[in-house]
Amino acid sequence: MDDLGFLHEVEKATGEKVSTCYQCCKCTAGCPVVADMDIYPHRIIRHIILGNRDRVLGSKTIWTCLQCTTCSVRCPNDIDVARVFDALRKISVREGKMAEKDAWRFDEIFLESVQRHGRLNEMEAILRYKIGKKDLFSDTRMGMGMLMKGRMGLLPHNIKDKKGMKEIFRKIEGKKVRG
Amino acid sequence: MITLTYYPGCSLKTSSRFYEESFKAVFSFFGIEFKELEDWSCCGASAAHTIDELLGYALAARNLALAEREGHHLFAPCSACYNRSLITNTKIREDKELREEISKMLSPLQYTGSVEVKNIIEVLHDHAGIETIARRIAYDLSSIRFVPYYGCVLTRLMKMDAFDDKEDPTSMDSIIWSAGAELVSWPYKMECCGASKTLTNKDMTLKLSAKIMDMAVSLGADAIVTPCPLCQLNLDLLPYLGREERNVPVLFLTELLELALFGALKGTGSHIISVDEIVKKVKRKCNALE
Repeated sequence: MDDLGFLHEVEKATGEKVSTCYQCCKCTAGCPVVADMDIYPHRIIRHIILGNRDRVLGSKTIWTCLQCTTCSVRCPNDIDVARVFDALRKISVREGKMAEKDAWRFDEIFLESVQRHGRLNEMEAILRYKIGKKDLFSDTRMGMGMLMKGRMGLLPHNIKDKKGMKEIFRKIEGKKVRG
Repeated sequence: MITLTYYPGCSLKTSSRFYEESFKAVFSFFGIEFKELEDWSCCGASAAHTIDELLGYALAARNLALAEREGHHLFAPCSACYNRSLITNTKIREDKELREEISKMLSPLQYTGSVEVKNIIEVLHDHAGIETIARRIAYDLSSIRFVPYYGCVLTRLMKMDAFDDKEDPTSMDSIIWSAGAELVSWPYKMECCGASKTLTNKDMTLKLSAKIMDMAVSLGADAIVTPCPLCQLNLDLLPYLGREERNVPVLFLTELLELALFGALKGTGSHIISVDEIVKKVKRKCNALE
């Protein structure tokens, strides 16, 4: 279904002038993970303009993106393509259309760790992610290797002002509820 | 005199502790003084702005606010911390509405936007200088071939100036050069290592990091040099990600300077890909000046 408000919604969320795209394909040409995408980056931009909302929000592409921003710095029209994809992820999650859930889940767990301790507790975050995936043992060798080399933080690093940190997260939540 | 506030970020206290040891040794040699930021917290990394843009700004701004009280530049050796702090700083300076919003989030902390954010390459240039580096080297690295690997987030910045060219930076090249090492020119200065997909999409990190390693090996490099902890980790993890071909070690920029100044590495035991061979290649300069 064509959703002509979609372009406006994305432009408003990002401040990017998506409609200036003239399909030069530089974003796609420079993307290091284009082989793993279902829709090429320049086509995602075109689909936004055409209002093909579900196609864009349900695409694998927006989750494959690594946010390396090669596309963004090369765009002749100065569209921050990576930022557009970042915004599309948020809309996709809000509407339950995400084609892939792992990256988002890990980011949530990462932030929950920061909310609790003020800094990332690597061990806690990785174990929680792995337990959620019911896949505790696939990276055991890598984990052990990192531990042996002293490259994995075991204990949480708590900041002193944990209260202030929780307050930041609480205010963000409050803003979301109020819209 | 202290002129820098050091913001370690999570990596330099966990997975890349030896990076901290390394830069501290090099800084102390050049007399660069700094003080660690009191009660610093996570910059939000790529996770925070992905989930909520305002949270991303707020987390990075908390450290900027703490640094403002110290009155010095904020020095972030981790490229991701540097990137998030710099973007947030620029946004807060330009966007009054955002500045007020962030103030509410951080209160009672305040941030007016007076702090400058610096990365490790800038600090080495500004506080040591390539002439000084060249003069003080005591070990001969001229038989060791290095490829400079900058990674994505140091210079690829949108809607703002970067400290170096966004796609063909040379600021680290000149430091490698001034340390007397052989600098190999290559096309993968900025190629993505797979970033934070190491856990959620291991095959993608393997594919991207292996491509970078393949190029380094095929050019006859002895080591890859990077300022970024995540790039270093992803490339160093290649043997565990399933790569069976030959790998060359991945050094932090300050480790290359350790070799040139002291002839040894503090973090030898922390490297997954062994650094023994290149340490063996380092020779004492017969005409060392100091």
